Amino acid sequence: MIRYMKGYVKIRTEGFSPERFINMCSLNGIYIWGLVPSRNGYEMYLELRGLKKIRPLAKKTHSRIVISERKGLPFFIYRQRRRKLFYAGILMCAVLLKVYSLFIWDIHFEGNVKWPDETLAEFLRGEDVAPLMLKDRVDCQGIVKNIRKEYNDIVWVSASLEGNRLNIRVKENDDSYPEEAAENAEAVKAADLVASSDGVVTDIVTRSGVPQVHEGDAVEKGDILVRGSIEVKNDAGETVGYQYCRADADVYADTELTYEAAHSLTDVGKVYDGKEKQMFYIRAGKIRISAGSTENTYPHWDMTGKERTLKLGENVYLPLCFGTRKVRSFSYREVRVSAEEARKSLSEEFQRFCTDLEEKGIQIRGNNVKINLSADSAKAQGTIWLNEPITEEADTEIITVEREETDEPVGTDD
Amino acid sequence: MDREQIRDSLVEASGMPKDVLLKAAVITVTGNFEICIGNYRGITEYTDSLVRVQARNGQIRVEGSRLTVRYYTTDEMKITGKVEAIRFENGRDEL
Repeated sequence: MIRYMKGYVKIRTEGFSPERFINMCSLNGIYIWGLVPSRNGYEMYLELRGLKKIRPLAKKTHSRIVISERKGLPFFIYRQRRRKLFYAGILMCAVLLKVYSLFIWDIHFEGNVKWPDETLAEFLRGEDVAPLMLKDRVDCQGIVKNIRKEYNDIVWVSASLEGNRLNIRVKENDDSYPEEAAENAEAVKAADLVASSDGVVTDIVTRSGVPQVHEGDAVEKGDILVRGSIEVKNDAGETVGYQYCRADADVYADTELTYEAAHSLTDVGKVYDGKEKQMFYIRAGKIRISAGSTENTYPHWDMTGKERTLKLGENVYLPLCFGTRKVRSFSYREVRVSAEEARKSLSEEFQRFCTDLEEKGIQIRGNNVKINLSADSAKAQGTIWLNEPITEEADTEIITVEREETDEPVGTDD
Repeated sequence: MDREQIRDSLVEASGMPKDVLLKAAVITVTGNFEICIGNYRGITEYTDSLVRVQARNGQIRVEGSRLTVRYYTTDEMKITGKVEAIRFENGRDEL
């Protein structure tokens, strides 16, 4: 290994007395190894340092020296002198790898349902933990502590470094959802339920509040269905105050809905004539390098584009986008829609409307929607009879009772 | 008592190593495949069946087959191969 570093050569010596040459070499402190006889001389290995000294010795002993092999690092470097950039590249690559490995490139969250990745990432950014930070500066313990402190409903956090990625695993407390819902309910106390549309009540189930309507009652939009204020009466039957609650009930009513949809029988459509231009580009900030052009002289054209941002891992977006743009030429042309097509399209539209209603839990009792065709248009109109929940929340009226004993609504009067 | 005997007894009496005082060659033989020679002057002949080494008091002939000089410095040399005979000759007479 040391020999390789210093460099060595294989020489062949020929002449009158090669033995003398060898002896002279060793007397001059030149280290010789691998000495083998060859034809009328010898072959041997010398250190590069020794090679410089042998010229006078060879002259003195009338020997001819031929260098047959050159080995070792100095010769290798000499041979590679034209490939400096190649080796510089390898070195640069190694240095860059080392430098890149000093940074965190990605933060990965696991187990979070309620708090999205973006929110947690934003919070961590506030704590100076973000992609592209130095790996040494990541304090996993600190991150865990801060997350626990900030988010009460995260019951378990673990932060670990895995290569150049910071993994954060959290466990959220699933039980906290209903609690929060209850809190919200308290916050919006006192509400009436009013009718959201006209109709005849078919079914009413009250969970809280005082119902104001019965089955079979006709209601108009805005009528109070369930009151959120409950009267408090004394022994004499007088109202002494009100307790307020958030009215909650299912009220179903038969309602009517007017449906109307129209289609013109003539349509102006785009007809692409096949002429198009495409452009590919790479963009870094405001600098854009593109191949192709979208400049054109088409009378009517539309442009579609796609752009993607390069990203590393999940969260590290590089400031480099690439995309394509396409310009297509077209002309407007009036298209006549046949009566059958119009009828079909209207009927499909109506079916879709009905399906949407049913998905919302509205029951369709019947309809008299009819499609009428005229010279230049097709129209569908009629009434749909529905059975739907018609409750809508509204603020309850706060009633003040003008009595002094309002503090003790159940007190007795003597 | 001739000169050599006087010299030997003096060396014996001094208690110093003989190779240092007499400049005699030191030959270490390992089996029949390796020979290390120290305290010599130089090689006088070298083929794969014979290596002649000049020492102060004469020549050392190493005979055998496939003989190779592994390394060769001022102080020591190593010969490997199949060694069949080591002979000591009066170098001056032969030369």
